[in-house]
Amino acid sequence: MTTAVPTRLGVADLTFYQRLAHLMNSHPEWYRVLGDADMVAVFTVTGSGPATDQAGADDHAATAGVANFQLVFEAMACEAVDQVSNAEAALADFRLVGPATAWSAMFDDIVANGQASGEWTINSLALRGDRIRCLGDDPMGVDKFSRFNQTLQQFLDGAGRLEPPELEPPELAARGATPSDTTRSTS
Amino acid sequence: MNTTQDEARNAIADRLPKQAPLGNPLDWAWLRGAPGEWGVHPKPSARGLTMQDISVGTYGEVPEHASRRSMAGRGSTIDGDVPDMGYILNKKSDMWAENVRELYEEAVARQWSATRDIPWSELPELPSDIEHAMCQVMTTLTEIEMIAADLPAKWMWRMNHDYLEAKMFLCTQIMDEARHTEVFRKRALANGGGLLYSRSSGEGLLRTILEAKTYTQATALLHLLGEGFILDIFRMGELISPSHVEKKIFRMAMQDEARHVAYGTMHLRYAVEHDPDVAAEIHEALDHGEVVLTEFGTNADFGSALAYLLGGGEEQIETKGFPLQMEMQRHQFTSYLARCERAGISRIDRTKLPLDLLGIDTSTIRAGSRSAAAA
Repeated sequence: MTTAVPTRLGVADLTFYQRLAHLMNSHPEWYRVLGDADMVAVFTVTGSGPATDQAGADDHAATAGVANFQLVFEAMACEAVDQVSNAEAALADFRLVGPATAWSAMFDDIVANGQASGEWTINSLALRGDRIRCLGDDPMGVDKFSRFNQTLQQFLDGAGRLEPPELEPPELAARGATPSDTTRSTS
Repeated sequence: MNTTQDEARNAIADRLPKQAPLGNPLDWAWLRGAPGEWGVHPKPSARGLTMQDISVGTYGEVPEHASRRSMAGRGSTIDGDVPDMGYILNKKSDMWAENVRELYEEAVARQWSATRDIPWSELPELPSDIEHAMCQVMTTLTEIEMIAADLPAKWMWRMNHDYLEAKMFLCTQIMDEARHTEVFRKRALANGGGLLYSRSSGEGLLRTILEAKTYTQATALLHLLGEGFILDIFRMGELISPSHVEKKIFRMAMQDEARHVAYGTMHLRYAVEHDPDVAAEIHEALDHGEVVLTEFGTNADFGSALAYLLGGGEEQIETKGFPLQMEMQRHQFTSYLARCERAGISRIDRTKLPLDLLGIDTSTIRAGSRSAAAA
């Protein structure tokens, strides 16, 4: 039941990242020990196939099957989540680019273990660069991936706490509450 | 100024005694007010009252050239006869970086504890060869981390106090490096191992950094070259760590190190933009520094221990350890060259590093630099 959450939501679905942002913003206490983080990150989800810098480096080309999700972090909050064009994505501090299969596998690992394990941490993935790559033209922006890495990891690890929308209590769904108002029960 | 309030305070000052009970004279000038800016009312931002928030009015103006060499706070009214503190770095371009206030706040907000935040009790017992390799890496890191505290400490008391934000940031760096030394030393001892070998190549690198002739040269060697190199080793912690405990150590240290690199890169950029002649001295330092760093990077102990851990032990050191190490070195030097471009001191055509041997694609670095400049 739990392992399918991200895949069901879809890593190419803006709602999924909005739910992660809502979770972060609802629990600043999870981030207090890590401190403030200010960065603009873009997660680029490409179609199937190996990781490529096409979507990121080819800034002005509209690449079919590519979805860019821009996340704006300020202090201990994710202030904005938007789907953006390739040109807008190129302006982010850094872009994490990989195929949907890699993103899904990463989130599945997080859901299965409660947090990223082994080689599925975002730092490990970006370091190897064979599934998800960290790209950016400005090394000062790219270095923010390292400066705020544990905040970013904590954000991604939120997937392990999301409640599948289909498992929400009916009364919540009926009154139109944001799905991420609930987190997975630890019981 | 509120004239009524001014008059009231002046009246109070007039009424107050001119001498203390022990006979020493009293000065109520502060009550009458000073020529400096008053009532600026900086507004706290969502995260509190930051150094950026209080950089308002004249308090936010950082002079290109300091007019005095005192420890008086920028914006205060200063006696004409304050003693000369002997500062030798009296230009903004000597130590400033456009991001230094932001980095100071970030450093303060993201402090962590090597005692509390590392799950020491969860360290698993490791095979003896892996423990030895980890302890050799920790021995070297313990040795080299404090250079990034000693070096700023050597120069800070020579920096004019008008540039206090830069000095404050360097104080956080010194704390960071103390913590890194602490955490690596603790890891060397915590699992039944200990400290292993220190070699002259490591000490040679440290001495080169410490003996740099100018602070800007020192920054080029320390922040840009040395810490940039170590930053990638910390990132590599994901691949060399036998357990989640070491991974946590490297991840936390990585965040600090990236902050130091961000300062160094932007300081050099500021220095070069405001004093183009300084580029030549930076190049001169890096010409030598790259040679010494390469000697350190190929250090028989540190390098072999890293390769051993990357390979997961003896069996895969040649099939996995050394190839991964080469891959990481390519990444290290690519990042370094890209940061040099960002700092405005392109090294691509000058460096003696074996770029072809390392497999570094200089055209990508140049293209990235052009795109970043255009943006």
